[in-house]
Amino acid sequence: MNVKKYNLRKVAGILLLVLAVTFALIDVIGWNRLEGSQVGPAGVIAVEAVLYAVAAFFCIRMVIKDRKGESTALGNFFQTIARYEFLIQQLVERDFKIKYKRSVLGVFWSFLNPLLMMIVQYVVFSNLLNVRDGSIQHYAIYLLCGIVIFNGFNDCCNQSMRAIIGNASLITKVYVPKVIYPVTKVLSASINIVLSMVPLLLVTVIYGLFNGLYLHWSVLLIPIALIFLIVFCIGMGMLLSCLMVFFRDTEFLWSVFSTLWMYATPIIYSTDLLERGGAHWLVRLEQYNALYHYVDFMRKIIIDGTCPALREFVICLAFSLGMLAFGWLVFHKNEDKFVLYI
Amino acid sequence: MDHRDKGMAENQKAENQKDDTILRVDHVSMCFRMANDRVSSLKEMVTLMLRRKVQFNEFWALKDISFDVKRGEVLGLIGRNGAGKSTTLKIISGILKPTEGSVYRGGNIVPMLELGSGFDYDLTGHENIYLNGAILGYSREYLEEKYDDIVAFSELGDFINVPIRNYSSGMLMRLAFSIATVVDPEILIVDEILSVGDENFQKKSRARMMELMHGGTTVLFVSHDLKQIREMCNRVVWLEDHRVKMFGDTREVCDAYRL
Repeated sequence: MNVKKYNLRKVAGILLLVLAVTFALIDVIGWNRLEGSQVGPAGVIAVEAVLYAVAAFFCIRMVIKDRKGESTALGNFFQTIARYEFLIQQLVERDFKIKYKRSVLGVFWSFLNPLLMMIVQYVVFSNLLNVRDGSIQHYAIYLLCGIVIFNGFNDCCNQSMRAIIGNASLITKVYVPKVIYPVTKVLSASINIVLSMVPLLLVTVIYGLFNGLYLHWSVLLIPIALIFLIVFCIGMGMLLSCLMVFFRDTEFLWSVFSTLWMYATPIIYSTDLLERGGAHWLVRLEQYNALYHYVDFMRKIIIDGTCPALREFVICLAFSLGMLAFGWLVFHKNEDKFVLYI
Repeated sequence: MDHRDKGMAENQKAENQKDDTILRVDHVSMCFRMANDRVSSLKEMVTLMLRRKVQFNEFWALKDISFDVKRGEVLGLIGRNGAGKSTTLKIISGILKPTEGSVYRGGNIVPMLELGSGFDYDLTGHENIYLNGAILGYSREYLEEKYDDIVAFSELGDFINVPIRNYSSGMLMRLAFSIATVVDPEILIVDEILSVGDENFQKKSRARMMELMHGGTTVLFVSHDLKQIREMCNRVVWLEDHRVKMFGDTREVCDAYRL
């Protein structure tokens, strides 16, 4: 039986092309804003050039080493994906099929769920917090952005938490790199995040017709925001699924913690409201809340119709990669012990 | 892995290819640690850990096991209950990581430790063939090519499009057996020969196993049935007390085991 392999030259080419298109997109959309920012267009382009050079260096190194028959970390990573691509696809497909298997509305719940949540919270909080008097513009959309991002995140975490213990019967019988389980759970949950973009944009367009909010070219940056979020979720998923093996209490702790996290994130309120309420320390603390940055990123794209500042990109990227690295470290250190505890 | 290790590993690989060894178990030991005092709460665990007083009972399930399997060979594993047969199979298939020693694998391994462990009961038989095949490491093209054979062998007919939670246990086992064996793996690991389905299917599955064993697939085979072992195996490993008691020709080992 032959093991499937990617042509690494092609992979490197696609990777660099995608990166180039992304940077071009950011530059074009953010152009009018960049001139006013602290760094200036020259600074932005310099940062992009450095990032691109680093990526190109690793890709070229991978291709050259591959030709010599040596392996690199990056090359190994892609070949592992190639090898288990079909399995990942099958597992994601399974999760997605099973989720709505016996429900009448099926996939429509992905659209309906955030909408219903938004209506409830809009009715409750727009009266409670007096947000209608202009303190938060376009509150319905503001709320929906927050709900979609946080629900997506929460869904990913809840799904991936049980990835290892839920697949115990498989893990004790067949060898598959264990990291595949939490990753596939996050991927299947993130299909829902992508789908929930449809009602978000739809509502924005309809709402905008009556309230003068129009979509800008900046919505093209949505994929970037989602990638940041999903990478963060993968890191979280690896961490939680690993903890869950050793402490089953994780599940209960997490349900409390995620509620806390939701209220700590400006989803139904804004940092301005906090500021006005005198909770300056809380506003400062939000800087360390990854979800705040993702939600804020999304709102800038959709409501403000501008490209987030370079600083925002860097912060989001740092949170995503940091969480991914941390989750992987914890997971990898303990994965050999899983079999003994499940 | 430092360079010397790498060099050694490559030397070993070259050596293995020369004498056609597809699997080599090299001084493998496996130690399970079992917590001695029952820790019932997190608080207790933390205080004990701080005092470094968590004691573990060491249990060596395997001690210094070594043997090798040549390409196309059928190797039997015999021994009394608790001798370490299943642990050995799990280490070979990569599920457990040995405490000491190493395992060289020269081919793709399909473990049939328990049939149908990757099934999802809400999916149809058709979907499960792809899911389970993917778990066993087969590619999409390969499964598409073999799909008809699998369905035909399982004798499920139209039931293949029914969610498998509605299957009888016999149907499940037939499907699982068909997926695991219709495709031809390089190394097949079998824990107890499978008697599934009615007499007719049993006959068919035994014939299929024999066909695999004679057709170049390397098989690792655990059984308590000495008659089967004598019939099928080229060589036999006898495990006793977590060690290899004897390793060699089928007849010699079986005769010694009998006594």
